Amino acid sequence: MKFLCVPCDRPMKLLSTSGPEAGSMSLVYSCPGCGYEMAMLTNPLETQVVASLGVAIGPEATATAGESKCPFSAMARGDADAAGLAGATGFPWTADAQQRLETIPAFVRPMAKTGIEKFARDRGYPTVDDAVLDEARQFFGM
Amino acid sequence: MKSYFDIAGDGGSRVLDQVAAQRRRIEGSLAGVRHLVAVGSGKGGVGKSTLSLGLARAFATSGLSVAIFDADLNGPSQAQLAGIGIAPPVPGPEGLVPPRDAHGVGIVSLGSFLPAGNSLEFESVSQGDTQVWRASREFAASGELIASVLWGDLDLLLVDLPPGSERTFQWAEFLGREAALVLVTLPSDLSRGVVARTAAALGRTSNRVLGYVENMSGYCCPGCGEVRPLFERGEGAPLELPCLGSVPFEPGLGRAVDGPASRAIRATAERVLSALEGSA
Repeated sequence: MKFLCVPCDRPMKLLSTSGPEAGSMSLVYSCPGCGYEMAMLTNPLETQVVASLGVAIGPEATATAGESKCPFSAMARGDADAAGLAGATGFPWTADAQQRLETIPAFVRPMAKTGIEKFARDRGYPTVDDAVLDEARQFFGM
Repeated sequence: MKSYFDIAGDGGSRVLDQVAAQRRRIEGSLAGVRHLVAVGSGKGGVGKSTLSLGLARAFATSGLSVAIFDADLNGPSQAQLAGIGIAPPVPGPEGLVPPRDAHGVGIVSLGSFLPAGNSLEFESVSQGDTQVWRASREFAASGELIASVLWGDLDLLLVDLPPGSERTFQWAEFLGREAALVLVTLPSDLSRGVVARTAAALGRTSNRVLGYVENMSGYCCPGCGEVRPLFERGEGAPLELPCLGSVPFEPGLGRAVDGPASRAIRATAERVLSALEGSA
């Protein structure tokens, strides 16, 4: 979807996004010519249809799903884990181990996190780090 | 006034660029795969998964490197069939390495991540309208999963498709023209009719349909070893596709070392490979 400022005949730029709130996102566009601003307000179905493509939405949303660091984009995809809003299990992960976890798709990440933390806890490890991940891979035959 | 195509980009999110980038990640992940083969049917319950695993093991036994991607996100069966059990997906330094079964076949199946009885749910900001977006989300999720796996150099990657003619068509388009298809049917007119419809739909894609496999072509008695008809053979029009093999139903197929079904699967695997290599 693109927006055109008719008086200027120039494409409008996405300025900011907010939401989703109750399934609705607000996307503000502005015309680089005259500065006119308008907002597109999505209904929950529209929000979900875009989210289902696994893409990020935002002014600089060039990253693909699974790589995005934009909290809003992650929320729009229902990826609370990437938004830093979930996974607060209290079990510590090193930054490197966390980075490895983020190489797998967001929708299987909670399954991985739960299983790996159980593996670490059962063996008395205080933290999930690269060595724990390697040991878990070997244990699970991966 | 400018039209849609006069304007580069979409003014912000570059959604199409992101979709193209996803596509490139999938292609990059599959770059080492020599043959991409989707096993589908249109009809459910014809033994696609069992046959996929049987073919994969036959290929592996003949020295080829093989993996299976279980594309049925909601009814995954490959993990259980292959006996790899439930295990969390543990990423390596570069990504996810598929677990292997006892025959060395790599298996990527949500069934190994998700305990039986649990269904795959995606968060939604809308309610009561999953029919609108669920298929898109499943394909996006499948793409993310395929792209995140370190498939490495494979002679064959078999994609075990979910049932449904429309789904088979969608998967063919999703996997791209490099994917060849093997269709599975039962001997009954009902099943062959659905498979014929699926084959007709696939005619609208650029994918190559290698042929069909008639599964459960008979019942192999474990007592006397004789193969007898299991279904009433229909008199409908023949499928206008090469027959790659007829595999009888054999109780305990996975355990049978050299029964009639195993032999039929090995012969089918040879024909599939010949068709892929262009000598059939």
